[in-house]
Amino acid sequence: MNLVEALAISKQALPEDTHPLRTFLACGFTPLHLQTFLAAHLRKRLPQQRVELKTGLFGDLAGSIERLPSSSCDVLAVVIEWQDLDPRLGIRSLGGWRAADLPEILKSANQAAARLEQALRRTSASIPVCICLPTLPLPPLFTTSTRQASAYELQLRQLVGSFAASISSESSLRVLDLQRLDELSAPSARLDVQSELMAGFPYKLPHASAIAELLAALIQNPTPKKGLITDLDDTLWAGILGEVGTEGISWDLDQHTHMHGLYQQFLGSLASAGVLLAVASKNDAALVEKAFERKDLILSKENIFPLEVHWSRKSESAQRILKTWNIAPEAVVFIDDSPMEVAEVKAAFPEMECIVFPKNDYQAIFELLKRMRDLFGKNVISEEDSIRLKSIREAGILRESGNIPGRSLDDFLQEADASIRFAFGKQAADNRAFELINKTTQFNLNGKRLTEAAWKAYLNDPAAFVMTANYEDKFGPLGKIAVLLGRIQGKALRIESWVMSCRAFSRRIEHQTLKQLLEKFDAKEISFDYQATPRNGPLQEFFAQLLGVAPTVDLRFSRATFSEKSPSLFHHVEEVVNG
Amino acid sequence: MDEMETRLIRCFSSVFPDLTTEQIRSADMETVPAWDSLAAVTLVAILQEEFGLQINLMDLPELVSFVAVQNYVRKHNVVS
Repeated sequence: MNLVEALAISKQALPEDTHPLRTFLACGFTPLHLQTFLAAHLRKRLPQQRVELKTGLFGDLAGSIERLPSSSCDVLAVVIEWQDLDPRLGIRSLGGWRAADLPEILKSANQAAARLEQALRRTSASIPVCICLPTLPLPPLFTTSTRQASAYELQLRQLVGSFAASISSESSLRVLDLQRLDELSAPSARLDVQSELMAGFPYKLPHASAIAELLAALIQNPTPKKGLITDLDDTLWAGILGEVGTEGISWDLDQHTHMHGLYQQFLGSLASAGVLLAVASKNDAALVEKAFERKDLILSKENIFPLEVHWSRKSESAQRILKTWNIAPEAVVFIDDSPMEVAEVKAAFPEMECIVFPKNDYQAIFELLKRMRDLFGKNVISEEDSIRLKSIREAGILRESGNIPGRSLDDFLQEADASIRFAFGKQAADNRAFELINKTTQFNLNGKRLTEAAWKAYLNDPAAFVMTANYEDKFGPLGKIAVLLGRIQGKALRIESWVMSCRAFSRRIEHQTLKQLLEKFDAKEISFDYQATPRNGPLQEFFAQLLGVAPTVDLRFSRATFSEKSPSLFHHVEEVVNG
Repeated sequence: MDEMETRLIRCFSSVFPDLTTEQIRSADMETVPAWDSLAAVTLVAILQEEFGLQINLMDLPELVSFVAVQNYVRKHNVVS
């Protein structure tokens, strides 16, 4: 993006009736074109949102952050440069580059980093913070030649590395990846000496645009994809199974098919982070079964569910996989080496990301892995991520058990030996609860999403409560599957948000949730900020079944009504402070 | 209007979107309130980008009107 384009985008009419994304850009230099580029990249990424961008006091990065009232913005973007750690690490200051000054520069940089870290941690308790570490070359202040790294330079880089590693442990602090920045902006073409000295703006325009582009992506923090459907032949492995047999397929250096091994390894990594994997292959099922018995496969069959192996259309396989996973096509990536199969699935599911596996092109496969990391990347791996696939498998068993003739749902639920742990603590670090609120569509009270800032404000509001539910039965744990946000007003409860994972349907967890809530707060009445959405059919159905009528906007009922209408519940219930 | 003038007007229009083409042709720092130091630096950056030239910021004091900028760009034999 060049500056003319950025100015044009920034000056487009803003959507008026939406909640603005109030962004604060903190940097120690004059923000000038970086501000323009950041506003433009944010507008480009969030066309439906009004972006407001404010900046702090120049030359005082830490002070700008320390003085920032967290209620005044939704997200903080911080761009650190070397001179923010010590002015002598820039070129505008003439504080001395004598050999004797170097230990002192290092010491003051350590102090500045500690102050910055403290300010960033404090701010991140209220709003998300996106940080760009120093990107400019250090000036030639060290006594070694520029070919040789000075011990002081290495210590400065170590300081920044340790600082970044320390703050990135906070889920609300997101650090921009400098390796990715290097791909977009060559390190030798970043510093604009004239602009720095004459205008106080140190970046060449393409570099400013690259930083802004990546910062905007960090701020947007797009929802990661949830599932990946892969082909087998010439994708998961090299070779056509039906032609070369189980011993003929390969994924190793000797056969020059190592990239398929790398792809398997990558899928294993995704699975370990909670991504659902399935196979859609036109193949002989018995042969595939045998192929998966090979001990040298990098990706375990245990990581894949379901396997759709037959000769029907791939779009039919994709349809069945989506049904098993119970997720929407836009949350899924489909990968196949055949452009025709990819086109067929894309035609059936336009919202699905469908990608041709670039077999025989090492570099393109490597680029594909990077692209997929962007599609599936997440900040934190939760306990639920590790049990998601297992619980989907068990949901299938549960559905089948529930369909046995002559046995009622009550019989089945009674034998399930289910327990629910309800928690009412407000843990700011509870990413799972925040994630559930922002990605659940089907059992969702109103479809409203929360920004990280709004979520933190909710946690800090003494009048509000957060209830979460962890579920487990004889088929295994489901982890944290429900979140409810509300307020108590005398003897009445007002529920503002309620979501439950689709993996937890058909277990009457929603009934038990309301029962516990009414009992805990000794409430006489409960009302809901309910809104029908195109996707929340399961929630509408729940209320319709419970009350005997379709829910309306002013949804409320008494405790007595609930007690009268609620079906039998068989869960063991436990209440804890923090779940 | 030659091609260079068209490109120059486009640059000015990016920085001063409220001005018409005619107003841009007669624009100077005295008559355009939005033409402050920030706009001047932005204009220089855009001119550098558009014409591929390196403008010395020491020359900023002479770039006080559309005509002056036009003469400056012509003087530096910009053909790109």
